[in-house]
Amino acid sequence: MGIQGLSKLIQDVAPGAVKESEIKMHFGRKVAIDASMSLYQFLIAVRSEGAQLTSIDGETTSHLMGTFYRTIRLVEAGIKPVYVFDGKPPTLKSGELDKRKERREEAEKALKVAEDAGDLEQIDKFNRRLVKVTSTHNQECKELLKLMGIPFITAPCEAEAQCAALVKDGKVYATATEDMDALTFGSTVLLKHLTFSEARKMPVQEFHFQKVLDGLELNREEFIDLCILLGCDYCDSVRGIGPKRAIDLIKQHRNIETILKNIDTEKYAVPENWLYKEARQLFVNPEVADPTTLELKWTDPDEEGLVKYLCGDKAFSEDRVRSGAKKLLKARSTTTQGRLDSFFKVIPSENNTQKRKSEDNKKGPAKKVAKKGGTPYRGKPK
Amino acid sequence: MFEARLVQSSIFKKVLEAIKELLNEATFDCSDSGIQLQAMDSSHVSLVSLNLRSDGFDQYRCDRNLSMGINLASMTKIMKCAGNDDIMTMKAQDNADSVTFMFESPNQEKMSDYEMKLMNLDQEHLGIPETDYSCVIKLPSAEFARICRDLSQFGESVVISCTKEGVKFSAAGDIGSANIKLAQTANVDKEDEAVSIEMQEKVSLTFACRYLNYFTKATPLSPQVCLSMSAEVPLVVEYKIGEIGHIRYYLAPKIEEDENN
Repeated sequence: MGIQGLSKLIQDVAPGAVKESEIKMHFGRKVAIDASMSLYQFLIAVRSEGAQLTSIDGETTSHLMGTFYRTIRLVEAGIKPVYVFDGKPPTLKSGELDKRKERREEAEKALKVAEDAGDLEQIDKFNRRLVKVTSTHNQECKELLKLMGIPFITAPCEAEAQCAALVKDGKVYATATEDMDALTFGSTVLLKHLTFSEARKMPVQEFHFQKVLDGLELNREEFIDLCILLGCDYCDSVRGIGPKRAIDLIKQHRNIETILKNIDTEKYAVPENWLYKEARQLFVNPEVADPTTLELKWTDPDEEGLVKYLCGDKAFSEDRVRSGAKKLLKARSTTTQGRLDSFFKVIPSENNTQKRKSEDNKKGPAKKVAKKGGTPYRGKPK
Repeated sequence: MFEARLVQSSIFKKVLEAIKELLNEATFDCSDSGIQLQAMDSSHVSLVSLNLRSDGFDQYRCDRNLSMGINLASMTKIMKCAGNDDIMTMKAQDNADSVTFMFESPNQEKMSDYEMKLMNLDQEHLGIPETDYSCVIKLPSAEFARICRDLSQFGESVVISCTKEGVKFSAAGDIGSANIKLAQTANVDKEDEAVSIEMQEKVSLTFACRYLNYFTKATPLSPQVCLSMSAEVPLVVEYKIGEIGHIRYYLAPKIEEDENN
């Protein structure tokens, strides 16, 4: 579920840290994709007439459809994707997972009610809520990716943490996910909406971690504490503290310990046995595989293999699969255009000019008045 | 206060022609030493670096460093209003939110001025390291423009390979292939028409024609163009701008897919 309200908070407080661009702007870059996130997306979104796509035996194929076509779209745009799958969930997440299970049960009940009442809209809504990524889905996707020649990694634990480790090591340029906790794990660049459908015409959002920190005026430890206050997957949050309150408290007290000493615990109910220290530890030192030991290799797609795997029982159209495989092959055989910013490094803009600019913005109208009065005097010394 | 006067406004027109297809907007950084501009095109494949020295202007004054964010389409509209022989003066106050262009006709009978709003651009400055290039090729700029135009009919990319004997431009595509070889000029009578090559090491690199064709929009600025290349670094295409400065284009090469894996 990521961090609640973080994306909005960043856009409000540090708009400079978010850049919107078209997908093709990211050509030539390697990107780590949080696979569980995108599979979930596909299971929900890739549907026909409200129902998931299925094979002849009724097995879901939405995730394969999504992975196949959207990966091709990325590859055609010149991006080299690496999929990262979740390993075992961290023990701290069990609370969150229990909650999710509860919500599923509720949704199941609600679905029954809706079915009895014959309310189609409600049925559709709750059906979507019941979507779950299973290990079969993961396994099938891995098989598909192998045939497509796209590398994938199974993380020892959380996929976002592994993605962040890959980015920090420079193996890939960014993490592509909708979950903001990739930032909390320290991913220098995060791309949102990269795996969205083309039809939605959503621009890709690029979050730069350093700019986020600069914009919020926090360091990494303080940022992690902020995320815990906002609400993460690993521990409860404090009731009564919303995004605005959380950022103010962090700026004032700089860490959760000091905040706890200073806030009115009557007003804000701090959870009993609050495991914020453990959650913090998880963000600082997540369980990841050492990125230097991982080899990412993109290979030619296996067209016959893909046809055999996807057509037949899974009922994909053979023509489309073949043309997809051709697209993958074509993208591999052409030379890729290098990026200038991979040769020359960006110099951080001088703070002086930045400040002057922001001042300019603020006193825009006032300045005009000053100028009118100022001009005649300025001319005099000539 | 910033003020820069240039008797030949046509130079500025040509500079604008040379950058306006690559960039939509750019920041002109004015300082005591002159006017500088550095910007990448929107796809981050190429970079324009323009330098106009203060001593090249007929009058130049800049009391405080000034960054002017300019929409180049708007500026082109204004520059179209200037006659080729007009004298141009650019003026801005410190911390201004607009810049004024003044044009005087040579006989001083017509004076016009245009004010243009400035924009706040957030731009990234790239640090370009000093590089000793393996090959430095000088050739007539019109020749280079012609080569780029001709080869772009054959394919999306052109291979530039430089050896001691000469430089070869080649392209290949659906209709066939094309090769153009230029040898060093033996005896240099007219410097502007000479081809000269300084080479330490052979280099062969692939570039996108599209960008080279953007660069050759600078051809009217200078009779000669200078290409600098080293293996696996961006190409530099430089045009001198009279006595006043230069415009340099940097272009990232195309990379063979397999090396990358």
